[in-house]
Amino acid sequence: MRPRRPVLVAAALAAALLSAPARAAELKIGATAPDFTLPSASDGKPVALQGLLSMNKGVAVLFIATKCPVSNAYNERMAALAKEFAPKGIAFVGINSNKAEPAAETAEHARKNGLVFTVVKDPGNKVADAYGAQKTPEVFLLDAAGKLIYHGRIDENQDDAKAVRSPDFKNALDAFLAGKPIPVAETKAFGCTIKRV
Amino acid sequence: MRAVQRLLLPAALALLAAPRGAAEPVKLLRPDQYRSRIVAAKKGRVLLVNFWATWCVPCREEMPKLAAAARTFSSKDLAVVLVATDTPKTSREVPTFLSETKVPFVCWQVRSADPQPFIDAVDKSWDGTLPYTLVYDRKGDVAVRLAGAQTEASITDAIRKALGAPR
Repeated sequence: MRPRRPVLVAAALAAALLSAPARAAELKIGATAPDFTLPSASDGKPVALQGLLSMNKGVAVLFIATKCPVSNAYNERMAALAKEFAPKGIAFVGINSNKAEPAAETAEHARKNGLVFTVVKDPGNKVADAYGAQKTPEVFLLDAAGKLIYHGRIDENQDDAKAVRSPDFKNALDAFLAGKPIPVAETKAFGCTIKRV
Repeated sequence: MRAVQRLLLPAALALLAAPRGAAEPVKLLRPDQYRSRIVAAKKGRVLLVNFWATWCVPCREEMPKLAAAARTFSSKDLAVVLVATDTPKTSREVPTFLSETKVPFVCWQVRSADPQPFIDAVDKSWDGTLPYTLVYDRKGDVAVRLAGAQTEASITDAIRKALGAPR
């Protein structure tokens, strides 16, 4: 059954909060990530990338979904990474750009799955377009200047977190915080396609 | 060795679990086998390869459209091969889906602990989006790339374009 879009995420509010530049086909490593201000899925309050950048060493932007089995396979891992790296100065923000997953559903999904980081809605998938995000889950790690330093998957094993051999996202976080080059700055994210308007 | 067994066992079970009536048994495919087992084997005909997964709803929805599009071409001109990118956890659902939907194509199951080597072996320009369809011309060169769910018309157009490619 197709969930109904809640009234509280009115188009006018979304338009007022959203400030994404024109679509970029693909964000390159080293490029400045598009700015955004999006409504929190839980209370609709604006969450600004610039605000997160100004208070942290970096920001992890994760495109996620409520119904995608691949994204859901990574819920615990995303929560664990946020718990580990938030105290070290990395802000995590989850973005739900799927047109059929409204704010209330997104907020409930985050609560149920222990996603301890802020989750926002991306009305009209404009931020997904600006970042060139195609899938869930898909990670964009930004340094404090907002430059892209890692893009891609969380790891290679969606089935089993304990059997992961290539924790690419965590490797990038560790390297970045240690002031070292990111071992592999780009990987190919796999998962469900973002369902755009 | 045990890790390898852990990875391969579900896929092997999926093969054994293939219900009677399935169009073809699902065969395992390593990244390094893609060119030789899939592309090279079909030279002389146009080849359509559809990459999908059971957990991918748009892939499942696209399958009947793919079947309908393929029916309009002679098997002398066109070969269609499916490649399931399911992980060991979901691969046992592949033969079930194929049987239930009566999909009339040969299907291979990717055997790779890490999906990226397979994606790169297929097409460096592929970002991993599913469904993904490659249409090769009769020489075995990629004629059309189709990323995301397609319509019967867009698949038909792609096949026609590949058939029109020079021999």
